Amino acid sequence: MKDKRIGRRDFMKTTLAGCGGLFMLSSEAKGQETKIVDSKGKERKFVYRTLGRTGLKLPVINMGVMNSDNPNLIRAALDSGMVLLDTAHGYMGGRNEETIGSVIKGRLRDSFMIGSKVSLPQDRSTGLYLESATTDEFLRKLDISLKRLGVDHVEILYHHGVSRKESVVYEPVLKAMEKAKKEGKIRFAGISTHMNEPEVVHATVDSKFYDVILVAYNYQQKHMTEVRSAIARAAQAGIGIVGMKAIRGGNRQSPTVQSAAAALKWVLQDPNVHTIVPGFTAFDEMETDLAVMENPTLTEDEKKGLQKEASLTSLYCQGCRQCLKQCRDHLPVPDLMRAYMYTYNYRNLALAQDLVLSLNLPNHACEDCSQCSVTCSVGFNVSAKIKDVARLKDVAAEFIA
Amino acid sequence: MIKTIGLILGIVGLLWSPTAQAAEFKFPSVNGWKQVGEIQSFDSNTLYEYIDGGADLYLAYDFQELKVAEYQNDKKASVTVDVYRHRTPTHAFGVYSQERIPGANFIDVGIQGYQEKHALNFLSGNTYVKITGYDIVSEDQTSLLSFAKAVAGNLGEKGAFPSILAAFPGEGKVKNSEKFIARKFLGYPFLHSAFSAEYDVSGKNFRLFIIEGKDQADCRDMVEKYLEQLGRADKTAAEGQYSLSDAYHGEIDLHWRGARIWGILDLGDPGLRAKYSKLFEEELQKRK
Repeated sequence: MKDKRIGRRDFMKTTLAGCGGLFMLSSEAKGQETKIVDSKGKERKFVYRTLGRTGLKLPVINMGVMNSDNPNLIRAALDSGMVLLDTAHGYMGGRNEETIGSVIKGRLRDSFMIGSKVSLPQDRSTGLYLESATTDEFLRKLDISLKRLGVDHVEILYHHGVSRKESVVYEPVLKAMEKAKKEGKIRFAGISTHMNEPEVVHATVDSKFYDVILVAYNYQQKHMTEVRSAIARAAQAGIGIVGMKAIRGGNRQSPTVQSAAAALKWVLQDPNVHTIVPGFTAFDEMETDLAVMENPTLTEDEKKGLQKEASLTSLYCQGCRQCLKQCRDHLPVPDLMRAYMYTYNYRNLALAQDLVLSLNLPNHACEDCSQCSVTCSVGFNVSAKIKDVARLKDVAAEFIA
Repeated sequence: MIKTIGLILGIVGLLWSPTAQAAEFKFPSVNGWKQVGEIQSFDSNTLYEYIDGGADLYLAYDFQELKVAEYQNDKKASVTVDVYRHRTPTHAFGVYSQERIPGANFIDVGIQGYQEKHALNFLSGNTYVKITGYDIVSEDQTSLLSFAKAVAGNLGEKGAFPSILAAFPGEGKVKNSEKFIARKFLGYPFLHSAFSAEYDVSGKNFRLFIIEGKDQADCRDMVEKYLEQLGRADKTAAEGQYSLSDAYHGEIDLHWRGARIWGILDLGDPGLRAKYSKLFEEELQKRK
């Protein structure tokens, strides 16, 4: 049986791989421009980007309608300069599309765009489609959505909630989208993914079928680097990229997100993302988004805040090494913080133990100090984490490996 | 050795243990259908895995746990039963009311349910149940009702709609249009949860709403913040009636008494506003 434990050299490789940069070198998105827009009677300059080969020009933030049952909020979003309304056949059992329909009734058709989504039955454990997932069912749902919205077409229709490469090219859906395009019911075919995103994005590029990808992308994703490079490949292939779940999971109530504006700007620092569709249910949240549409550049303070948050959330030690000078017992604190991360974030006990054993820790590490002399730059409770993870020293390896 | 095993179990338990089991609910047996696969459970951290972005709505309504079972029959049709449990019956009603279609085909199951061709949803106590059929033929549609009744039976006491709904005047009310909005009523974070109902009187469509505060001070805080939002910070918040002009919502008649704030939205006709203010107040007086 192969020894699953990772040696010191491999461990170092893994550690370095985990240091992927949170921030990108500033570069402007291709086709980015600023437009002066009448925002509820006030002139505002919003940043626009082009949605890949679709050629659609969109402000960098649009409305994820998803949880809003408030027509006046949707109306205000459109009147303030947002253009694309993102919804789905299944949101609120269909009432979400109905509410949008009530708002856009009577508006000029070229004054707004709609992105909706249709899903078909999948095996939840495998992400593969069931027999009942047919072309007819897909088209039936699309027709219902168009009726609810009160329009004859949507700009983007997404193949909704794909998590496997096999499902990206599921023939009944491709046939349905082709037919819908021919009949003028959809302008562009999209795909949405919020799980196993890199695999889905790469398969989407390879399929050469889709025009737009709606993808979960945020600074707290553990596999953010892979998502970022998959997005870059897709954008290079001319696919329009719409970001979602920018504020972790899309739920603004998340206690871990200190600044929604910074979280949105973090996604927009990537020039390969053309727009994002955060969900909002309150006017103050909309105002936050409008301010980001005017200036999506991260400030230095916002960068520091995100870095700190990402560290706290991912248990990731920034390696500033300030603690090394502060610890009275000269413990290798950064290494121990990594061991803690391997234990509780990566859930890799073997890797964590390997590291702890390699550090030659004294017995009862941290237990002799009545007060810890270390003040961690990202706020870790260093002594508590060390006491916890140092216990791995006493565990027989065969229990773990 | 015992200490070591304890440590291992502690760490492993900490890392791998499933979430605490919810109140016991058993999926029923239904004639002609066989339960297939494992029962799946989702909590507030994992609901995204099941319904993606739709999870946000459920989380806003204090979602606690979802249990999912799948059934199949000999004709390879399948039925999925989703049982969403919320913190309170009011929260379960809230999410049900957000998805309920006023003109749906309503059925007598639980507190209330409705059925479409491939789906049946119903409310019972603090649970919201969604039953979906795949590849079902017309005779299987009656099976959806059988499923609903069997599930409702296993859920126990069905309870009733929130009693405050009875305070909405009946005249002109759109049937089954009542809603519970769990937070940020009208899109304002300072307004808490509210109940609302839609009205259609001689082609005029409007809404009545009521916010039940914790106490008088809570309502005072909400009214003061609302006045501030509307640029009327000079106005002293006192119990009584306010005629407000809201840039997002238009003219609003708002009343505050004790721990209740209620009012009328989207109604320009002053005569009709006065009539419904009076009717609503009378109904609320009966339910002090």
